[in-house]
Amino acid sequence: CKKLNENPDSVIVSSQFYKTASDANSAVNAVYSTLNSDPAGDFPLYGRQLNLLTDNAGDDQIYSPSNTNPDVRALGTETYISSNSRIQKVWQQLYYGINRANIAIDNIPAIQMDTATNARLVRESKFIRALLYFNLVRLYGDVPLILHNPTSIDLSSLQVPRTNIDTVYSQIITDLKAATNLPKSYTGANIGRATGGAAHALLAKVYVTRKQWANALTQLNTVINGGYGYALFPNFRDAFQKPTKNGVEHIFSVQFETNLGAVNSTQYLSQSFVSFNTATFPIDIPADSSVYKLYSANDTRRAVTFYSSVYNAATGQTVVYNNAYTPYYNKFVDYSLTPLTTQAQSGINYPVIRYSDVLLLYAEVQNELNGAPTPDAYASINKVRTRAGIANLTAGLSQASFRDSVFLERRKEFIQEGNRWFDLVRQGETALLTAVHKLPAKSAASSKNILFPIPLVEVQLNPLLKQNPGY
Amino acid sequence: QQTTQPLINSTLHGTVLDATTKRPLPGATLSINGTTHSVSADANGKFSFITGQKFPYTLTITFIGYVKQEVVANGSPITIYLKEDINQLNDVVVVGYGTQKKSDVTGSIGSVPKNILAQPVATFDNLLQGSVSGVAVTQNSGQPGSTANIRIRGGNSISFGNAPLYVIDGFIIYNNNDNANVGSNGTSVNALSTINPNDIESIEVLKDASATAIYGSHGANGVVIITTKRGKKGTSNINFNTYYGTQRVAKKLDLLNGSQWEQLVNDINLSDGVAKTFSASQIAAVGAGSDWQNSALRSAPVLNDELTISGGDERSRYLISGDYFNQQGTVQNTGFKRYSARVNYEKNVTDNFKISTNLFGSQSLENKLYGSAYNSINFSSAYSNLLLTSPIAAIYNANGTYNTTNPYNVTPTNPLQDITATTNKTTLNRILGNVAGEYKFGSDLVLKITGGVDLLNTAQDYYAPSFTGSPAGASNGYATSGYASIGSGNSLSWLNENTLTYTHTFNEDHFLNVLAGYTTQYSKNESSVASAQKFPNDLTSYHNLSYAGVANLPASSSNSSALNSYLARINYSYQHKYNLTLSERADGSSKLGANNKWGYFPSVGFSWNAAREDFFKSATKTVNDLKIRLSAGKTGNSEVPPYSSLASLAPTNYYFNSTLVTGIAPIQLANPDLKWETTTQYDAGFDVGFFNNRISLTFDAYYKKTSDLLLNVPLPLYTGYASELENVGSVENKGIELGINTDNIKSASFSWKSNIVFAINRNKVLNLGPGITSYFPIAPTGQVSPVIVQKGLPVGTFWGYNTNGLLTASDIAKGVPLLAGVPQQVGDTKYVDTNGDGKITTADKHNLGSAQPKFTGSFTNTFTYKQFDLSVFFQGSYGNKVFNLLKQSLERPTLSLNASATLLNRYSPENPNGTVARATNSPVPQVTDRYIENASYLKLKNASFGYTLKGGALSAIHAKQLRIYVSAQNLVTITKYTGQDPEVNFYDNDNTKQGIDYGTYPSVRTFLAGLNVTF
Repeated sequence: CKKLNENPDSVIVSSQFYKTASDANSAVNAVYSTLNSDPAGDFPLYGRQLNLLTDNAGDDQIYSPSNTNPDVRALGTETYISSNSRIQKVWQQLYYGINRANIAIDNIPAIQMDTATNARLVRESKFIRALLYFNLVRLYGDVPLILHNPTSIDLSSLQVPRTNIDTVYSQIITDLKAATNLPKSYTGANIGRATGGAAHALLAKVYVTRKQWANALTQLNTVINGGYGYALFPNFRDAFQKPTKNGVEHIFSVQFETNLGAVNSTQYLSQSFVSFNTATFPIDIPADSSVYKLYSANDTRRAVTFYSSVYNAATGQTVVYNNAYTPYYNKFVDYSLTPLTTQAQSGINYPVIRYSDVLLLYAEVQNELNGAPTPDAYASINKVRTRAGIANLTAGLSQASFRDSVFLERRKEFIQEGNRWFDLVRQGETALLTAVHKLPAKSAASSKNILFPIPLVEVQLNPLLKQNPGY
Repeated sequence: QQTTQPLINSTLHGTVLDATTKRPLPGATLSINGTTHSVSADANGKFSFITGQKFPYTLTITFIGYVKQEVVANGSPITIYLKEDINQLNDVVVVGYGTQKKSDVTGSIGSVPKNILAQPVATFDNLLQGSVSGVAVTQNSGQPGSTANIRIRGGNSISFGNAPLYVIDGFIIYNNNDNANVGSNGTSVNALSTINPNDIESIEVLKDASATAIYGSHGANGVVIITTKRGKKGTSNINFNTYYGTQRVAKKLDLLNGSQWEQLVNDINLSDGVAKTFSASQIAAVGAGSDWQNSALRSAPVLNDELTISGGDERSRYLISGDYFNQQGTVQNTGFKRYSARVNYEKNVTDNFKISTNLFGSQSLENKLYGSAYNSINFSSAYSNLLLTSPIAAIYNANGTYNTTNPYNVTPTNPLQDITATTNKTTLNRILGNVAGEYKFGSDLVLKITGGVDLLNTAQDYYAPSFTGSPAGASNGYATSGYASIGSGNSLSWLNENTLTYTHTFNEDHFLNVLAGYTTQYSKNESSVASAQKFPNDLTSYHNLSYAGVANLPASSSNSSALNSYLARINYSYQHKYNLTLSERADGSSKLGANNKWGYFPSVGFSWNAAREDFFKSATKTVNDLKIRLSAGKTGNSEVPPYSSLASLAPTNYYFNSTLVTGIAPIQLANPDLKWETTTQYDAGFDVGFFNNRISLTFDAYYKKTSDLLLNVPLPLYTGYASELENVGSVENKGIELGINTDNIKSASFSWKSNIVFAINRNKVLNLGPGITSYFPIAPTGQVSPVIVQKGLPVGTFWGYNTNGLLTASDIAKGVPLLAGVPQQVGDTKYVDTNGDGKITTADKHNLGSAQPKFTGSFTNTFTYKQFDLSVFFQGSYGNKVFNLLKQSLERPTLSLNASATLLNRYSPENPNGTVARATNSPVPQVTDRYIENASYLKLKNASFGYTLKGGALSAIHAKQLRIYVSAQNLVTITKYTGQDPEVNFYDNDNTKQGIDYGTYPSVRTFLAGLNVTF
């Protein structure tokens, strides 16, 4: 007669966990891992999934012939509906991370350990929670504000309505304010964690999104002058290189590594290069040559952002890609890999906030606060332009012209970095629709596209969730 | 008026008794030959004739269930002994935890006919196909040693185990192929392939609750009871059984040849508005190009040699067998081999005490076609890679080496070389043994104690050399500079059963058999997988991972589970006319939630042998047997993985400062209420025999409802969990089954027997829990799920668009609805606006049928003429659909991959009547009715012709028996399905994704010849 109680030897159950400092560390590592991996083995949130919404749906990118998933193509043509699996996946991945952060925030304070580390781990979790909620409200509008792990599996107890966007933002701001107490920087094995500077920078971005210019300015000033040591890399290329990862310009990045040996954490944007065979196409394709033409020939960002030929070390020949879809994206291709076709092993980090983002936000905020661009505003945008090797912005622009220049600069600076969609949405429906309608493939875009639909399965499971207008 | 007194020449008194039990046989009929005079034996078996016949005269005595006998009466009194007819109703059948007289059985039990058992097959699950009504078998692929999908009376469960329970010589095996697949690459290995089918004496299939409920929580999916051969008293036999055959691929696909493909590429260029890639002279020059499909195929031998030595004396019986089976694959570098040995031994130690043991050991070796796991990012199989390779790429260089410069390959590799050079080997070692002791207390009570163990040890070795390019993804040999993986698994299951059986007959009318028992089964599974990459060269293959430059994270797992059970059964029969079976089993499983460990599974069965009633006697010449059966009961299913009810945490990875760190986070919420899936089943049936069983027929109708389904219930995603394993929802299966055996011709030199098996099953999802009407099972990353699980439809219904030919210029002018999000023009597929909203969106997808057949059947004819025998076995399935995913990819024109020959009839301005969509660059493959194909089929599964040696020739070689035969398997397939074989399951045993064809290993046609001789 065998006892029927289960004493698993190969599985940890929650009652055994959240007891030690090591458990606390592991719980927070799991929060970070939701940024670069998917529990079900799908593509990661950062490095692929989020880009399908913020880039593929925007005016920088169209779907690739090699993308056979109709849901991906629907995003590229603004014809997505609420059952779109990619829209659902992004929602799910954002809440995965939020749940893990909630668990860490609720469980870690009770763990007996070094109090400073304990507080730091909770703040890091709050930073990630805020980042994910910030993405959620910007993509979907009002969303359920979940701050604790469920205590029951009963569906009725899990059905909650959407929380007003203002309430979600105030939670984001509360979490980020707590996270501003994080260390200014890390050394050794802790490099890559969220810092106080990252919290200030993200908070600034939140305030800019909310058009709270004065609050934003306070935060930006802290990031720039608070002794964090941020600066631009002299070369734009270094923002997307393995040896310079987590460098002076990187305020917060999602970490990827070559030869993980581990599964589920492929930085998939590297698949912009797939083969020396010119008959195959990368999975992401720039909208058309108009994006490429935004750059002047002396703009150093152009060669970093696009490629149309690649040297094949095996044959000693340079392969030229020349078809209707070229040039291809280049930022995340890891040229240190051998053979080059093993881009699944790319170790290039995904930058969530770079210092150039802060500088351009600063220019924008100054322009908005003062009714016209200030010298500070000019100085800030010109730092970004100078690094790119292009001339200073024409002096004496009106507020509106300066604003347009900042948004154009942001577009050129952040292609494939998930900013463009939100920048268009921030400017309003007309700006968004005008931009995407310039692409024939995206003529279907209409006012509903200002928000993505709440995933159909969520609305079906929870009648309290009202769908966004138009879906 | 005077009456004439009959002339009395003799008076005969007598008694009719059972030859074995010496009990009287009331109702036995006696008649005097040549007269119409007959009488019946009374309640004491006594009879008397007062007749004008003089002694001696001949009597004929008949009684249902007994052999008809003729006796010469020389004087009075006379005692007549009738022998039970073991071929008829009183045949003993194997049931759970014992045997039962066939006449007393209340449940629905089917047996695999002897002639099917004799067929040469690789694994015994092949024997179930078409042999028992209500058992549906689909061979998942043609890979030797691969799995078959077996459903008894439809699938009950959506998420977990629908395979039947196997009981081999009393040992309970819930076949879990996961235990045989550790870090496997490609199709999964069939753990049942370890069993030698030639050892099997009989297979019984228990179908209804009266028969299966004694297996309680194991019984819901039906039970297959396998009894192996054993020695017989007073014999001493040496049997040698051998066959050798050759296999060929049954069907190849029509693909484009070189020049046709170049024209296709040019047409794609045209639609892209770019210059043509190939000139007319290039197209003419390339000709047929390479036939990649053919390049990997070969005709392959299959052989089997078996020696069996068996015998017995008064006190002991033994059987020792050894077998070697070797089936090479029709695709190069694949095959399956098995070495096995068996010892079965029984001894009556004393008159009251018997011991027995069954011991089996085997080693199976399988070389599989590799293919990445189906849910990985770039799922692919080696065979479909081959089919998709451009025909203008040469296979070999001029010097005979493999050509690796295919301009359309992502890597400089060759798909044929990939197949021949990649190692993908599975070794399965199995030991299955049990020991039983039986002690008889007096004449009625038997105590039986059994102990058994099943050990399954798996080793899976994989090596993709640095010059091979497949499969895509993490284990690609070229990308990793050599990739090795070794997996090992150990699975242990031990079982102890203790039963008491009481058998007694009261007042010669009341037959009682009572069983009570306690059993406990414990299982432990352990596995580990290690892999490494970047080898300096390919010399050491998978044999030494320490040569590798990079080690991947190893993985290991371990789990254990226990099942404790109490069981009881009462069989009661009144005069073998009215039979009642009551059973109850209580099962406690460790795998279920803390609040619901125990489940209770009762059943009741009743049967009535109507033909034994007096009033039926006049009809017995026509209808010699009629039995009516009714049963109801509950069975369970708890085939969830261990630890499913716990709030478990899983590891995950992140990097700080380029160093791997481990994160730990919950993957599921606790569900302490997790409990059994319960199947309630009702069955009504009858068995009828006509003309002394020249025609016998078995009919059953059943209804099954499975409730408290173990379902991964979707949770709102904002909880952070995608789903939770809960007991919600229900599924029903209902159907009818018919089996007919006929002796069409029965003469001294010629006989013809037929056997028809027919079954209908209807499966329907009744309920998926509160608030859920449907969901799409998880599709491979980047794919759209072609199936839906929806209330009111069969599990795994195909879900897609209807199409209606191609768009014409007038369609466009009329403004017919076009597929949203894709620029459509003349010559593109015309989708049907099913919901009439004027748009083609995913809302227009609808039910396109399912892989579940409307009915299945088989028809077997066996002829013997003197010493010759011929058997022809047809098997078919009707109404099942297959999603031809391979065709969908082969009809998707691209600039780099080969395509189906159907594209020759594509629309183009030159071919305006083409029926296939125009060539465009990599269009989105939609799930449409074009690819959900009718997969009904009729197969000539087996035809065999044999000759049995008799008389002097036999004794001249000192043999007792000798048969030689030739046989053809899978000879003819009649189907409208355009793929390789309508029997296909790319997704193996996944209940919701049945009937999907993505270029599995091709099925084969086999011709073989064999010899079976006994000395």
